[in-house]
Amino acid sequence: MLRDSRFEDLLTGIAPTSRRSFLKRSVAMAAALPAFGSLLAACGDDDDDDDDDDGGGEDADPTATEASGGGGDEATATEEEMTDDDPTATEEMVDDDPTATEEMTDDEPTATEEDSGSGGGDGEPVQGGVFIGLGHHEVASLSPDDWGPSVHYFIVGNIHGRLLKLDPFYVLQPNHAESFEVSDDGLVYTFAVRDGITWHDGETFDADDVAYTYNYYRNPDNAAASASNYVGVIDVEATDASTVVVTLEQPNAALLTRLGQAGLVPEHHHGEIGEDAYKADPIGTGPWILQEWRAAEFTELVANPDYWEGAPNMDGIRENIVPEASVRSIALQSGEADSAVWPLVTDDHLAFLEDPELSDYTVVVTSSVAVNHFMINNLNPIFQDKRVRQAMMFAIDREAIRTDLWQGLAVLATANISPALEFYYEPDVAQYPYDPDQAAALLEEAGWTLNGDGVREKDGETLSWTCTIITGDQARRPEAELVQANLNEVGFNMEIAEAPLATIQEGQRSGDIDMSLYNWTYGGGDGEPDGSNTLRSDARNNWSNWQNERADELLDAGLVETDPDARKEIYSEIQKLVAEEVPFLFIKYWDWFNIYAPRVKGVPEGVLEGDNLYQFLHQMWIEE
Amino acid sequence: MVAFLIQRLLQGIVVLFIVTFFTFGLMQLAPGDPIDIMVGEAIITDEQIELIQDKWGLNRPWYEQYFTWLSNFVQGDFGQSVVRTGVPVSDMVIEAMGPTLKLNALAITFALVLAIPAGIMAAVKQYSVFDSGIMVWASAGVALPNFWIALMLIVLFTGQLGWLPSSTTGTWKHWVMPVAVLAINETAILARLSRGSTLEVINQEYVTTARAKGLSERLVMVRHVVRNALLPIVTVLGLRVAFLLSGTIVVETIFAFPGIGRLFITSVDRLDYQVVQAITVMFVLFVIVANIATDLLYGIIDPRIRVK
Repeated sequence: MLRDSRFEDLLTGIAPTSRRSFLKRSVAMAAALPAFGSLLAACGDDDDDDDDDDGGGEDADPTATEASGGGGDEATATEEEMTDDDPTATEEMVDDDPTATEEMTDDEPTATEEDSGSGGGDGEPVQGGVFIGLGHHEVASLSPDDWGPSVHYFIVGNIHGRLLKLDPFYVLQPNHAESFEVSDDGLVYTFAVRDGITWHDGETFDADDVAYTYNYYRNPDNAAASASNYVGVIDVEATDASTVVVTLEQPNAALLTRLGQAGLVPEHHHGEIGEDAYKADPIGTGPWILQEWRAAEFTELVANPDYWEGAPNMDGIRENIVPEASVRSIALQSGEADSAVWPLVTDDHLAFLEDPELSDYTVVVTSSVAVNHFMINNLNPIFQDKRVRQAMMFAIDREAIRTDLWQGLAVLATANISPALEFYYEPDVAQYPYDPDQAAALLEEAGWTLNGDGVREKDGETLSWTCTIITGDQARRPEAELVQANLNEVGFNMEIAEAPLATIQEGQRSGDIDMSLYNWTYGGGDGEPDGSNTLRSDARNNWSNWQNERADELLDAGLVETDPDARKEIYSEIQKLVAEEVPFLFIKYWDWFNIYAPRVKGVPEGVLEGDNLYQFLHQMWIEE
Repeated sequence: MVAFLIQRLLQGIVVLFIVTFFTFGLMQLAPGDPIDIMVGEAIITDEQIELIQDKWGLNRPWYEQYFTWLSNFVQGDFGQSVVRTGVPVSDMVIEAMGPTLKLNALAITFALVLAIPAGIMAAVKQYSVFDSGIMVWASAGVALPNFWIALMLIVLFTGQLGWLPSSTTGTWKHWVMPVAVLAINETAILARLSRGSTLEVINQEYVTTARAKGLSERLVMVRHVVRNALLPIVTVLGLRVAFLLSGTIVVETIFAFPGIGRLFITSVDRLDYQVVQAITVMFVLFVIVANIATDLLYGIIDPRIRVK
């Protein structure tokens, strides 16, 4: 497939296309916003149907995309979807200048307009029909405070509005904020809230609701899981009905991505019933209104006729909860469902890519931003010499894992940032091709010699440990077994055990578990490269107990720095440091599949972030 | 009779206490923190973690948490789910119990209606083609795992034929395959059992006597054979009712049924203590009630037991 060769291109950093450079600039711009403090988003209700194509969409391959699988917020709008009323903001971009400032005007085409056709088919949108998505676990809460999991986000993100919204190309677009300004010192953000938006109960949405939302979730007394969106915020105030001012104690380059995309709740309703009750009784400003919620079975939303971007084409969307991946696949193939919100098994993904009988399905393949990796307990003395960790990387045949176990549906990791983040991705780092001899040499150099049992030892201690994988994790168990064989071949002695994820994570924090295997982000969620919550020495989710002062300095600097080029340098250095130090064994980034049934039309092509296409269902349509 | 019932109920309460105490303790002994599940990958400080722990009482000793739970339970309050914050556990359990009870009731009804006559008929016509057919069916039904049967049915009836929906509830069509999967297994077990117990009875002297008295074959079967053959079936049935609930875990997961089995597995996985406790109580109550019902049925079927 073209997709594979494209990933190889990404790995070697060659052959940038016009679309790629366009995207690069787009990502850079998102990061540049706070630096310039002058973004104007004129996103009125004017007609803006002109298609000023920069050529970006020409070479787009619907299956050759890469992006996050990790629960960000995105948005998209295709040429076909952009109706006269479409007010989505766009950017004036200066070629080859990643720091270009941006004037958002109604007369400009959007990034997605330019870049995409309709993978689901051309033609005028048709009204009616209910879109059925398939999740794998219950929708436990309908509050934006809990919208992290993809299965939740599908529903909760469609109910609630937000000031800004990432599109599937990692470009932040104004949404409920018409425009915003950032002070020169980067400490004061002033958002102009769009007029004419109403809550699902008919009440008027205004700046007070925004201030209420931010102040509620950032208040430590409310113990909100999303409080981290507001780190560093010292004041949020609605100065009038359409202006919100957010004040920080120090610049925060990730603020717009996090705070700007927080789901908004109505003061008149949330304030009255409280957060706990709100989790079951949400009122939003999004394109869909809650109809029925049966957490473990399905959630159904109906179209919001008063949605500010225009009423959705479909009558409703519904998420059925189907835990078994093979059943989700059959449901898709039999026409029972329109998309699997949570992926299928690899063989089924391949079938949708290659089986001619399934060729009329729209398959959106993006690259996850969560790295598939083996966490290493760096507190364990046997792992403290970085040569041991590097030897492990050389000993593992990662290409075999990618091709044999994942059927090529993955891209090898080079450090902590996914190539999906094209602007921040740094390919020029220490490389670890499969080289058992190099692994053995490093171990010898570090003083670990083979004993009679074929296991290396040093000072009476053997290179033995247990890798605890998630109970019943059939997808990754073969990977652990292959790595076990690879490592044991050069004198390591790795055993495999299983435990529930919560048990593993507790053990990792306490240092009782020496190794595990799952996917997690170390920067990259929502296109934001900051990985403070997993890479900092004192981070709660520092699963590998990695202590590195330089990394801490760089992470802190990356958050405060608002110049994109300077940020890029910082995150490049972090990736080089991670590749050199090997705090964990980075294996690969999975391809993330979002498959749409043939009857779903208006699915954009060439996106970088597939998961958040579901946040643009109001612009798609169903054509039987 | 009343004394017997009171005695069994008191025993049941003791069992309930012991089981819930140990379940609670075991859940707490398992390493892991439900807060990890709650916050996921969010960036969160230790102070925020403490606030969340305070809110849910998760930082108190486990026995203290248990007695708080027990005290609330006695007052009919099962607490709130940590995962589905804000939703009372009792609502979740009642909501999930509906589909599970319906599923099991349908499956056991079909199994009884099909298996007992088939088993008895197979015994009466021992070594016939019918008998062999029933035995092959029964062996296959016991040997084939539920999940395999379920997936094969979905492949056939949803994937190939497109006759039946693969998941969730809604119309009667949604129930066909899950009920069939449970019923296939139960039918196999009960058919084998009823055949075996009928064969044991059919050659007893009192049956020969009944025939010698000139009773019609039908009366011999109904009054003497079937009635006596039912005793072991009732015993096993009592056990199966409790077992069926746990057996639905697989079926509910594959067919995406929002039942108690799936809720239980999800809650254990996410360390949602309150929900696990509530479902444990429900399971224990089911077993206790099923056992008492079995004892009472014994008395009805076999008067000698009532006298004892």
